[in-house]
Amino acid sequence: MKFSNPLRVRRLASGLLIALIFLVPIVYVIMISLESPSQFAAHPMQPPLPPHIGNFGSAWRQGDLGPEIINTIIYAVGGAGISTGLSLLIAFPIARRLIRWSSPLFQWFVIGLALPIPYIPLFIEARDLGLYNNRIGYILLHVEPGLPLGVILLSAFVSSIPRELDEAAWLDGASYPRYIVSFVAPLAWPSIVITFLYSLLFVWNDIIGPVVFLASPSLFPVARGVYSFYSSNESAYTLLAAAVMIVSAPVAILFAASQKQLLRATMGIR
Amino acid sequence: MWAGVGVGAAFYVMFGIVPAVANFVVSFTNYSGFPGTPTSFVGFTNYNILFSTQAPGFISSIVATLIFVVGVTVVQNAVGLALAHRLQGEGKTASALRVLAFFPIVLGVTVVGITWLLLFDPVSSPAQVVFGAFGIHSAFFGANTWAMTLVIIVQVWQNLGFTMAVYIGGLKTIPASIYEAAALDGVSAWQRLRSITWPMMAPMVSVNVLFAVVGSLTTYNLIYVLTDGAFGTNTLGMFAFNTAFGQSADLGLGAAVTTALFVVAVAVAIPLVAMLRSRERRLLA
Repeated sequence: MKFSNPLRVRRLASGLLIALIFLVPIVYVIMISLESPSQFAAHPMQPPLPPHIGNFGSAWRQGDLGPEIINTIIYAVGGAGISTGLSLLIAFPIARRLIRWSSPLFQWFVIGLALPIPYIPLFIEARDLGLYNNRIGYILLHVEPGLPLGVILLSAFVSSIPRELDEAAWLDGASYPRYIVSFVAPLAWPSIVITFLYSLLFVWNDIIGPVVFLASPSLFPVARGVYSFYSSNESAYTLLAAAVMIVSAPVAILFAASQKQLLRATMGIR
Repeated sequence: MWAGVGVGAAFYVMFGIVPAVANFVVSFTNYSGFPGTPTSFVGFTNYNILFSTQAPGFISSIVATLIFVVGVTVVQNAVGLALAHRLQGEGKTASALRVLAFFPIVLGVTVVGITWLLLFDPVSSPAQVVFGAFGIHSAFFGANTWAMTLVIIVQVWQNLGFTMAVYIGGLKTIPASIYEAAALDGVSAWQRLRSITWPMMAPMVSVNVLFAVVGSLTTYNLIYVLTDGAFGTNTLGMFAFNTAFGQSADLGLGAAVTTALFVVAVAVAIPLVAMLRSRERRLLA
């Protein structure tokens, strides 16, 4: 590598800076998660050699992380799954203009994207409809927030599927549900995955929802569970770092598997 | 077909539109979160409280919202564009750094929030060591001087990858021949950004500005984890949440704050969309 070239040096420096900005917080958490509490107290900035893995077991037990991870998966997959399915069922007729008022209906969803979630009436509604503090209710309450983005993304994609395909399938006598499941869904699969992932991220990222709609700790998803764990162990730094590492593992794996598609879709490359 | 649309629309009406309207109704009551408290209509009382000195939080929360929205939008777009410019290439380093920059979105607010609270812990943290070396001692997230700046930084840090990815998509749509022609004319880097890159990416600028503005205006997940609205970070959404679900459990007053947030969101989003659209038309005509 030639360091005499100023452009090269500049690119190297800027690349390094970007790496540092995103890596330093993550590496710090990894580092202290491997430090024993006594090492952290004495010299926290020294690399933990040999690593102390006891934090992970303690965090797992004290934080009740196992059930919380399972709750999170149920909520995220359930909410995002229903939301994505319904988005497709709304987006297809809108994009094909099969129903009246297609464009006002579409604009409705665009407006929905810009509005804050009114948690106060939703809390009252959840209580009155029996959706408060139970798993099914929590899933149902997380369907609507995913719809606006889902309908917008999927109707853009459906528009790119040639109309002739609809007509051919209908001439063959395929019913509407069959047509959606066996023709449209496979063709729209990449954008269905993206819609699903983005609504999954919404459920996973939601910390206000679990505070408003859930009361029993046994129903908490990770977002709230780890936050409570933080509130009651604010100065147990090494334990907290381990808890953060454990709950990040499932999403890190999911991200590793989907990052290519997620990034390409966000960059607008099909 | 109608069944599919019907079920979807039912969800949207029941959990989107009905609560939005109901919020307005609740804001005229003294609805309390404490069970057994009778509820009655109280007219404009909640709105009067907001604009009076009884609830001094309202005006300062509008100020906090303004600082947060402008700060996040400007920094996220400026840094996002710089990042996109540096990482648009096909090389292995660029692609690895893109994935790294996108990762915080996936990590989620609680993990990101606790990570930064550990990083800026006032007692024992890298920030305390580094800033201490310069003689600066602060409670960071627990001090008026720093909290808002840090909250903006963390919000940007988490969402930067999205902004970057959208801008990379935009950069790829600009034909290389335009840059080559500009290079022949001896155009400076700054002029190239101002008169080629920025205007030609108008649609991506629209998406990114809109998402940053709407996102920072209406969500407060991260603020809840980092400061719970203390130390000058009580944006309207956070303020509404704390009024309704905090110690006072005043759902009526909280709903009035939410109405204010609705009004601000609509008053900002509609002109913003119109402005961004006409900008696109003017620049890409």
